[in-house]
Amino acid sequence: MSLLRNIASGLQSLFRKEQVDGELDEELRAYQEMATEEKMKQGMNRRGALRAVRLERGSLAAAKEIVRSGRWESFVEMFWQDLRYALRRLGMAPAFTIATILTLALGIGATTSIFTLVHSVLLKSLPVANPGELYRLGKESRCCYQGGYSQENEFSLVSYDLYKYLRNNTEGFSELAAFPAVEHVFGFRRAGNPEAAQSSPGEFVSGNYFSMFGIRAYVGRTLTEADDQPNAPPVVVMSYRLWQERYGSDPSVIGSVFNLNDKPFTVVGITPPGFFGDSLRSSPPDFFLPLNTEPFVESDADLNKVDTHWLELIGRIQPGANPASIEAVMRVELKQWLRSHWGEMSANDRARFPEQTLYLRPGGAGITSMREQYEHWLQILMMVSGFVLLIVCANVANLMLVRGMERRRQISLSMALGAQTSRILSQPLSESVLLSLFAGAAGLAIAFACTDVILHFAFPTFAGFASVPISASPSKPVLLFAFVVSLLTGIAFGIGPAWMATQVDPIEALRGATRSTAREGSLPRKALVVFQAAFSLVLLSAAGLLTAALQRLENQDLGFVQEGRIVASMDPRLAGYRSDQLPTLYRRIQDSVASIPGVSAVALCQYSPVGYGWGAGIWVDGQPAPGPKDDNSAAWDRVSAGYLQVMGTPMVKGRGISEEDTATSRKVAVINEAFARKFFKKEDPIGKHFGKEAENSGQYEVVGIAKDARYLTLDRSDGAFFLLPEEQADYTQTNMGSLFLHDIVILIAPGVRLSDTQIRQAMASADPNLPIISIRTLREKVATRLTQQRLIAHLTSLFGVLALILASIGLYGVTAYNVGRRTSEIGVRMALGASQGHVIRLVLRDAFLLIAFGLILGVPLSLATSRVLSSQLYGLNPYDPSPIAVAAVVLGLFGFLATLVPTRRAIKVDPIVALRYE
Amino acid sequence: MDLTDFVLWTPLDNQDERRMLLLVARGKNVIPDQPSDLVQGTLDMLILKTLALEPVHGYRISERIEQMSRGFFRLNAGSLFLAIHGLERVGLIEGEWKPTENNRRAKYYSLTEKGRKRLNNETREWGRQVAAIARILEAS
Repeated sequence: MSLLRNIASGLQSLFRKEQVDGELDEELRAYQEMATEEKMKQGMNRRGALRAVRLERGSLAAAKEIVRSGRWESFVEMFWQDLRYALRRLGMAPAFTIATILTLALGIGATTSIFTLVHSVLLKSLPVANPGELYRLGKESRCCYQGGYSQENEFSLVSYDLYKYLRNNTEGFSELAAFPAVEHVFGFRRAGNPEAAQSSPGEFVSGNYFSMFGIRAYVGRTLTEADDQPNAPPVVVMSYRLWQERYGSDPSVIGSVFNLNDKPFTVVGITPPGFFGDSLRSSPPDFFLPLNTEPFVESDADLNKVDTHWLELIGRIQPGANPASIEAVMRVELKQWLRSHWGEMSANDRARFPEQTLYLRPGGAGITSMREQYEHWLQILMMVSGFVLLIVCANVANLMLVRGMERRRQISLSMALGAQTSRILSQPLSESVLLSLFAGAAGLAIAFACTDVILHFAFPTFAGFASVPISASPSKPVLLFAFVVSLLTGIAFGIGPAWMATQVDPIEALRGATRSTAREGSLPRKALVVFQAAFSLVLLSAAGLLTAALQRLENQDLGFVQEGRIVASMDPRLAGYRSDQLPTLYRRIQDSVASIPGVSAVALCQYSPVGYGWGAGIWVDGQPAPGPKDDNSAAWDRVSAGYLQVMGTPMVKGRGISEEDTATSRKVAVINEAFARKFFKKEDPIGKHFGKEAENSGQYEVVGIAKDARYLTLDRSDGAFFLLPEEQADYTQTNMGSLFLHDIVILIAPGVRLSDTQIRQAMASADPNLPIISIRTLREKVATRLTQQRLIAHLTSLFGVLALILASIGLYGVTAYNVGRRTSEIGVRMALGASQGHVIRLVLRDAFLLIAFGLILGVPLSLATSRVLSSQLYGLNPYDPSPIAVAAVVLGLFGFLATLVPTRRAIKVDPIVALRYE
Repeated sequence: MDLTDFVLWTPLDNQDERRMLLLVARGKNVIPDQPSDLVQGTLDMLILKTLALEPVHGYRISERIEQMSRGFFRLNAGSLFLAIHGLERVGLIEGEWKPTENNRRAKYYSLTEKGRKRLNNETREWGRQVAAIARILEAS
């Protein structure tokens, strides 16, 4: 009650200020009058009585001030007053205001832009109902298939059989949904429509997927348990994005039939806008199909393989359920399930049985593979932009200090007249906070543009695919972030100068002095410049380090030749090819592309570098079987004859895959050096046999060893890797995934330019219905693998240059200011015979002392930063002194340039004029 | 307040302002916030007590406090009205403009029901505290 009354009364005095003030005045005057009369009764004259009352009881003005300051609304009033005053002062210095706002906006914009990404990728939950109730299986994302009955560290992927077992027996979940870890791409086309098949990402999901997320259809309905039955009519849910962009929100899409990989599906509904599935991906799915249609679409189906683990799990727990006890229950269930398959388990699986366990983790953010992938570089960018913001603060603080110097007299006068320190402090502070809030608003615009550009470069989109579901437009948390950062920035660069302004001596004002006495105020400014130089060095050397690493990655010997190679990607599955038709297709593609004038060789492969490969466990003929703890993994790829020559990878021994390897000849394999080292030690591998299954260790004969190359990652040489000839594949195995080759590598004769159209025409002559996913040079393809590194390096360089410019401006300001103040001193020196050289040395010595201090502070900081960076990014050399040395030289050079103008002014000083000032 | 160590060369006829300048020069806060001789919060209680008999105006309140304490508490106008207005705001007292005996207008304050209750509580509490403190001090 009394609080309400207090607020009401406060508001009254705010809005009826005059009346309330008048009453207070009258009351106090009456009080004084009565006190005076009392004194007069004792025999004093009126003047004396008045004086005695003032002395004893305090003056009226002081009393009024005290009573007013005791009310909360006086703060509002004061704030309002300061705000208007600050606005007026800023308006009087438009150049300063605009420069400051722009500088600050750059810093705040950069930080906010990075935070937008951090928020979307690292902090945000899925746009679903109550994400806090969602829990997922697994501590870390794992891709994409796990075979057998044991998994390393944790059981994080499950088979459909295990999923059903867990779903039916775990009571703590209200819903437990499953979907594959691997991303699927489907060829789709509206039935009865003559258009060529398009490709789009899609996902098989369990029937309770949408009800688990609490997602309702935008139009039509979502999937239900009834749709996810072995013989249910095949239905599909389409994304809002595809529906809107490709079909213009045509309502007739719902209920119509679409062919997905040439199998008819009825579209039953559209997902709501903004829903992007279970994980943040660069291309979110456009189709959601029931899990049980997987065998219908993919002949090489995983659904009914009990020991193929390919599903991720996310569940919504019962309200109030304890996730830890659900986890415990599920661990027991896992063991029970494994035990029930004891008969099918291999010896190694049985040996690993005791350590098999699983983990349940908060799943509100979905499957966080993207988070894991981008975490490091976002942290680095956040750090870098934070440095930029600090430098910006230092720069603006420097400007504010100069302003503070200008108003010293005014402040000392106010203080002499009895102004409170807090009031004096609040004026420049409200000015700086106002500045930074304006800058925050401008920064939001910069952040929006920046984020848009970064998204464009970081997540390149394929035509027709959805783009990454991250919006550059600021969300509520981002707005809040920008506001808080602006406020803190304003306080950070304002509080120092404001406090220093209050450290004036009121006597100074009374003395009426026009010139500043000592060198006061110059130390903090110098410190700020030192600080700027140090942080610029950190940013520049980090930029140098990252750029050097990027160049190393770009120019390293990959073990294959990037120049003169074009990669065309296709997917025969999207055109509805069956595996037995594939050999003919491959021959026709090979022949028609090879006949393009200027093409010297063509080879097909499943995956061209850099990126993917199949994994297999290796059993070497004549060697003991690998134990439960032994690593017998190797990567492999299926290629056509002459692939290694086309890629330009040299042979170390033996021969590559060639024309003599046909379906009827002995089964061969070409291994790399790492494979030879790993499985054959010091023996000569040529002529030895190995296989991919325990019972089949004599499957392939090694005919050649290729030089180690980087087909899988750019970071390091591939581990054990082998190639199998495409012609020897078992095409009777219906629609096995590894039979479908994706990439056509074209070697062009030197000096020839090949257009995309020529390649498309050649492909069309092989099969006009075959969709071509992309055509690009091998160099471009490799370069896309470095997108992240390039983005970090370029952004850091950009921020580094920004920092350099700001630091130079700061140094220029301090030097110019000092020269201005020392004009008379310089004049005296010159009158006494100092040469121009002396004067130049005088000015430069000061400037370079600042830079030198900056370097002394900056070098250890830079070393520490590069240590941190190299612990997070691969390929950096933290002990390489050259980036820091180069950064130091650049900083020195810019420092020199910044002092040129003030130095010139110093030597132009006319002793006569300077002395006249005294 | 000892003024001998401070020589002002600007003629000021007001002792108060003179003192202010002196304090500024010494880097101290100009306006004393509370009468230093008064225990925090007791001023409120004294004002309530003064108003327990009859409604009076601000000057009378300070006069009564001074008289009743035999000149021990001499109130500064700022502190007095700060306290009065604070009490009025939270509804312990209420003010009314009335003519004085000298035909001047003044604001007369009276206790509200809430104020009366508070006064009783505080008086009781005060008595208990003082007694307790006295016991401790006498014990040694």
